[in-house]
Parts: sequence; structure tokens; C-alpha cells
Amino acid sequence: MLNFIARRTASGVLLLAVISFLSYVLLSVPDVDVGRQLLGQGADQAAVHAKNASLGLDRPVLAQYTDWLSHAVRGDLGTSWFTSEDVGAAVAGRLPVTASLMLGVTLVTTALSFLLGVWAGVRRGAVDRFVQVLGVVGYALPGFLVTLVIVLVFAVRLRWFPAIGYTAFTESPSGWLSTITLPVLSLSVASVAGVSQQVRGAVIDVLRQDYIRTLRARGLPMSRIVFRHVLRNASAPALSVLGMQFVGLLGGAVLVEQIFGLPGIGSMTVSYTARGDIPVIMALVMLTVVGVVLINLLVDVMIGWLNPKARVA
Amino acid sequence: MSRSTRTGAVAACLAASLVLAGCAGSGTADSGSSRLNIATLTFPQSLDPAQAVGSALPFFQASYDTLIKREPDGTFTPMLATAWTYDAGRTALALTLRKDVKFADGTAFDAAAVKANMERFGKGGGADAKWLADLKSVKVVDSAHVTLELKQPNPAMLFYLSDAAGLMANPAAFAKADSLKTSPDGTGPYRLDKASTTIGTKWVYERNPDYWGEPLPYEDLSISFFDNETAIVNGLKTGQVDAALLQTADQQISIESDPRMKTTKQEFDFQGLLLFDRAGQLTPALKDARVRRALNLAIDRKTMLTTIRQSRGQVTDQVFGPDTQGYDKALDTYYAHDPAAAKALLGEAGYAKGFTLKLPRISAIVNDALAASLAADFKAVGVTLVWDDLDGGSAVQKVFTDRAYSGMVMNMGQSSNDWVVVDELVTPGAFNMFGTTDATVRELIPAIQTGEGAQAGAAAHALNEHLVKEGWFVPFYRMTYLHVSDGTVEITPQSGMAVPSLYNYAPAK
Repeated sequence: MLNFIARRTASGVLLLAVISFLSYVLLSVPDVDVGRQLLGQGADQAAVHAKNASLGLDRPVLAQYTDWLSHAVRGDLGTSWFTSEDVGAAVAGRLPVTASLMLGVTLVTTALSFLLGVWAGVRRGAVDRFVQVLGVVGYALPGFLVTLVIVLVFAVRLRWFPAIGYTAFTESPSGWLSTITLPVLSLSVASVAGVSQQVRGAVIDVLRQDYIRTLRARGLPMSRIVFRHVLRNASAPALSVLGMQFVGLLGGAVLVEQIFGLPGIGSMTVSYTARGDIPVIMALVMLTVVGVVLINLLVDVMIGWLNPKARVA
Repeated sequence: MSRSTRTGAVAACLAASLVLAGCAGSGTADSGSSRLNIATLTFPQSLDPAQAVGSALPFFQASYDTLIKREPDGTFTPMLATAWTYDAGRTALALTLRKDVKFADGTAFDAAAVKANMERFGKGGGADAKWLADLKSVKVVDSAHVTLELKQPNPAMLFYLSDAAGLMANPAAFAKADSLKTSPDGTGPYRLDKASTTIGTKWVYERNPDYWGEPLPYEDLSISFFDNETAIVNGLKTGQVDAALLQTADQQISIESDPRMKTTKQEFDFQGLLLFDRAGQLTPALKDARVRRALNLAIDRKTMLTTIRQSRGQVTDQVFGPDTQGYDKALDTYYAHDPAAAKALLGEAGYAKGFTLKLPRISAIVNDALAASLAADFKAVGVTLVWDDLDGGSAVQKVFTDRAYSGMVMNMGQSSNDWVVVDELVTPGAFNMFGTTDATVRELIPAIQTGEGAQAGAAAHALNEHLVKEGWFVPFYRMTYLHVSDGTVEITPQSGMAVPSLYNYAPAK
């Protein structure tokens, strides 16, 4: 297992290097005059040139990249061109918001998906059809619509939760819970719909296996069969989907963070990318790549832990 | 790991997620506190006043005072400067300064600080640094008196000193200029609470206990940036946002139906086609004033206003706003919608078969309805409008640096100061990039620049009328913006600014 983790980590570092170079080059290609954007339409051309020079934009892209990389490996991610804040600190300040969302959605998705999936897979019949319909509806509803309805009902109408903003856990745990509940709920709808169907399918597959029939024939209680044998074998495909959902959540987080006015990585990605703030975008790209590599690694390790057969494979 | 540990871990995860899914929140908003929560769609790139821009003024007004205060109606009153007088030639502006003002570190605010700040602003490379292009030197007379010597008369100087160019920072901080970008150091009514602030998202200020002036009514202040009005409207409805400006008609309508909200209307921005190429370098037809008049006659402003802004605004044919001396209400309807007359004018100018006009399109400004409406109106008189779809960044580059287009549809703020309008749109510069002028413009500009009160006003009025008749621009309408508070705040609109000054908020009575 250690060997596996080492190999995956090394390939992750290589991926990081390749993506950082490609991203930097691609971001530098667009014909956008950053100095002009910073100073506005009315600024005179000399001031625009001076601004570009002060940001190092008058140098070749390769030189700019090498400079960025040499600072980045030492932990210095530079300063935002558009807000003048330290990029490391800015990203670190917003990371807990998105991390809270993703953690919340993963927990909710895991719990509800396994409950619904196992329930449908084992009971079948009307229950199964109900869960399937629920899955289709949950998956088909557009994310923004779900989010807007949730805000209107639970925040604006009922006033149970705040409609916008984020309270840090360290500031107030109950405030934190109330500010992330609706965003987590809206992101979980599609996630639960997707993963529960995977769990259902996997449970049905496992229940058809010969060894389950043998276990049943030996008179083992159904609950014991489900929790000891079915779940373990059905968890691998579900965990893979869960991992993919987690990565895909970054996209959903963009929308949810905008609607709830959450100062997270998603909304940051959109606003800074639109402005072409390369130091910030590079930090976000790196963070995303590291996140994706880590999640995939974690999923593989978990599958191996839950199902020893997978380790051999 | 044993099986039981594993089961325990899974159970803990399940429990946590169920708690998360089923929890009910307690109190939502911090209503009743003395904090003013403002939501905004614009934010400053830096809190260093050398890079300040007028559109983000409230962020700066919290920590910095300006030399002169601009009242909601646009008049000027004392702030850090208690008196000001021009010499006869209007090229020397003498300021008398307050003596009891100190920065946080005990440094006294004095004439040397004014000199250091103004020189730094002029050279600071900020977007509004050009405002001080007419400043020749700043002469320190004594610690409480300073004279601004100008290269030529500038009728907007008091306006600038009540805006970004008049913000006064602690010169002791200039040595560490980078720190000013995120740590303001001024004499203003509030101080930035860095621990609670997330630059780029939410700026939190607390009252400056040593403030020299009348304290503002709120103990604390937070200004939150949102990139969409939906979140702002939701925040207003739940009391998490106390005050905000709404620009889009849909959001305005959605908030007006809520009886708890207090709303105040203001017309500030106008939307229109700014023609740059009046010498016909890119589009030869535009050289002829008859063609430019034809374009003005071709568009159906009333229908555009009704369909695009849901009638929230006033049609206009002039770029001077209602708060200026140059404004003339009659010029709002100078051009009727008259395609036949437009066609006749085009025929007279030798363009009976029309011509092609290529314009850049940024979807944030020119939505589909506006793009289609303009193209259809122009097509009806034979002018083919070709939209070049661009994103915001490359559009600015192509329009202002490469000068690749003959005009552009823009939303422009309407200043309350005639000279600011003239300097921005009429004298050669960013919005008169081909340097168009004519005998009338050449004659009237000095009269506005050097003339006194009514005389300058008459010249501005004459210039405005001339620009309308010559079809320098194709304005569509002034847009009604809506100042909204959740009912707890009284907002007074600020003349010449879309966002109110920080001093214009007070608890509702």
C-alpha cells in the first residue's frame, strides 16, 4: 500500500508541474491588457505601460513562469494584481468556506445515499421505484433552481437560516452550522441522487451473487448479511462515484457560493479568472489539482481498506 | 483497524451528517446592532488612496477624510480644509487646513501632508491620477495653509478634492506603500478591522475613537462585495444587508413588492452609443453630421426603455446629466423616432444605400434585447450593424488601446460637475480617442474652463446643445437605479455618484 501511495504522490507532483506550466502559458496568451484593466478606460497609455512593467508583464512568458515557479516552490504565491492581497493568505482565508461545504456535502451524501440505496436494493418493489423516481428528479432538477427555491423557502420565507454570508467555525460553531446548512443542502440534492442510484445498483448486483444465496440458505439474518457482506462489496463502485462527485462539487460550489454570497474558493475562481489575475488563478489551479489527486488517492485507499480484494486487483 | 472501530467510524460519520442535515438555525441577522451592513457590486483594487477611484469612494471615506466634503446635493463644505479661495486668474487655489487633526500614530495632519498626498496621487498611477494633470505644484505656506498652483484653470478642482484626489493618508505610511494597499492609515471616522475583514469579499470597519469630527451614526460598518444582485436582494429580505443599490430592473421590481423595504430612486448612469470616429477614419460615413443625426433619429428610444429597462428611466439625447448647468430638459427629446427623416438625411449625405457599422459588444452591457433592438432600428434605415462579441478584458484593450472601433455602447455615470463631463467626453482623451473638435467646441471649452458661475453655465449649455445637434453621441436613456434599505436605514442619494457617500446613511426615523 505504501508503495502505491508513493507512486501516486510522485505522479501527482509531475501532474502539478505540467498543469502549472500549461495553465500559465494559456493564461498569458489571451490578448488582455492587464494594466489597462487595472487602471480603467480613462488612464493614459504611459501609465498603462508603467503598470504592466511593474507587474513584470513586459517580459517573455517563460521568464514570468520561471519566476512564479521559483517563488511558488518556496511557498510565496505572490500578490493579487487586482486586490493587492497576499495570494497565500487570500486563498487560505477562503479555503475553510469551500472545505466546509464539501465536507458537509460528502457526509450528507454518504449517509443518505447509502441509506436510500440499500433500502431500495434490499426491499425493491414500491420502495425501489420511489427511490428511483427520487433519484431521477434530484438529478434532473437544475442546480440553480434547487438553490434558489431552497433560499426562498428556508431563508427568505421561513427565516430558519441566513440567506447569505458565512460564519467561521472558530467564531461560532452554531453560526457556522446555520450558514452552511442551506448551501450543503442544495449541493447535496444532485449528489445524493447520483450516488444513491450507484449504491442501489451495486447492492442489487451483490445480492444476486451465489455466496449471498448461500449465506441466506444458512439462515443468517438479512441485516447481518447486508451490513457485513453486501455493503462491503457494494461500497467500491459507490465510493468511486462519491470521489468523482466530490471533484465535481467544485463546479457546483461556484454557483452556490455566488447565490449565498459565500467567500469561498468557487466564487473566488470566477471573479479572479474573469479579471485575469494570474497569481490568484495559478494558486487556485494548483489547489484544485492537489485536491483532485488527494481525493482520488483517498478513494483508492478507502476502497482497498473496505474491500481487501481490491488491493490485490 | 478492527471491525468494531470501523463500524464506529462509519456511525460517527452518519451521525454527524444527520445532525448537519437536520439542524435548524437560530437567529439569522444581527439586527438591532449599530452596525451598518452595505452590499455593493464594486470594490477597490487597493485601499491606498493614491490608487483610489471615485466609484469605490465609500471604502476610502471610512478610513480617510477628503480635503473638502461633498454634500448630497453636490455643494462643497469644509472637511480637512476649512476654507478655500481662488486667485483672480483661477490658477492658484489657497486652502486653510484644520489644526486639530492627527493620524493614528500621533502624526499631525498639516500642509506638508497635503503636499505629499497630492503629489503622490498625481504620480501614483491610479485610474484617476489624471485629475491632477493640471496641478503644477503644491506650495506649503505654513502648517495650516497650502496653495495649489495650477497650469491652467480647472473648474472641477474642488470636485476632485472632495473625491479620490482629496483623500489624505498618513505620509509616514508612504515609505511602506504596499502596506497601505490593505491597511489604510488616515484620519477618517472608521478604522479597518483587519481581523474581521476578508479583502475582496467583506471589509469591516470600527469607529475611530479619536475622530476629530462628528461621529457617524453607526458604531461599525461592513461593506460586502457581491458579483450578483440576487444575493444582495436575498440579504436585504432577510435583514442581513441593510442598504444597497440595485441596478437591474428585475431585481428592483422584486424588492419593491416587499412592504418592509425602503426605496429611493435615482437616475445616474445613461446608456448610449458613444461615437468616437467623428473624423471618419474607420467608418467614413460618420464624418458627416447628417449621418450621425440619422443614427439618432433611427433609434426608438421609448420602446428600448420599455422593453429593456421596463420603463425604469428617462429617454435622453444628451450626455449632460440633470445636475449639471449644461443640462436642458428639452434636449432629452430633441430627436424623435423618425426612420423616414433618418433615411432622407442618409440620402442627402450620399448614403442612400446605407453603410456598415461595426461595434464591439460586451454582453454585460449590451444584452440580447438591446443588441437586437439597435440592429433592427438601424437596419430599418439601411445601416447594417455588425456586433463583434468580446469579453470585458479584450474589449477594453481593443477599444481603448487599439482604437479598433468607431464607437461603443456604454453605461456612463453622469457627473454633477460640467467640467468633469467636458473633460471626460469632449476634450481629447479616452472617450474622444480620435481627438474630434470643431470651431464651436474650441470656442466654448475655454469659456467653461475659465468663466465664472452663470457665464460658464451658459457656455456648458451651449456646448451641450451643439453636441446634441451635431450628433456627437447617440444616447438612449438615463437608467433609474434604486437605493434600497431593509427599512432600518435612511439613504440619501449622492449627486454625481451612483453609490451614496458614506455620510449619507442614517438610522430610519
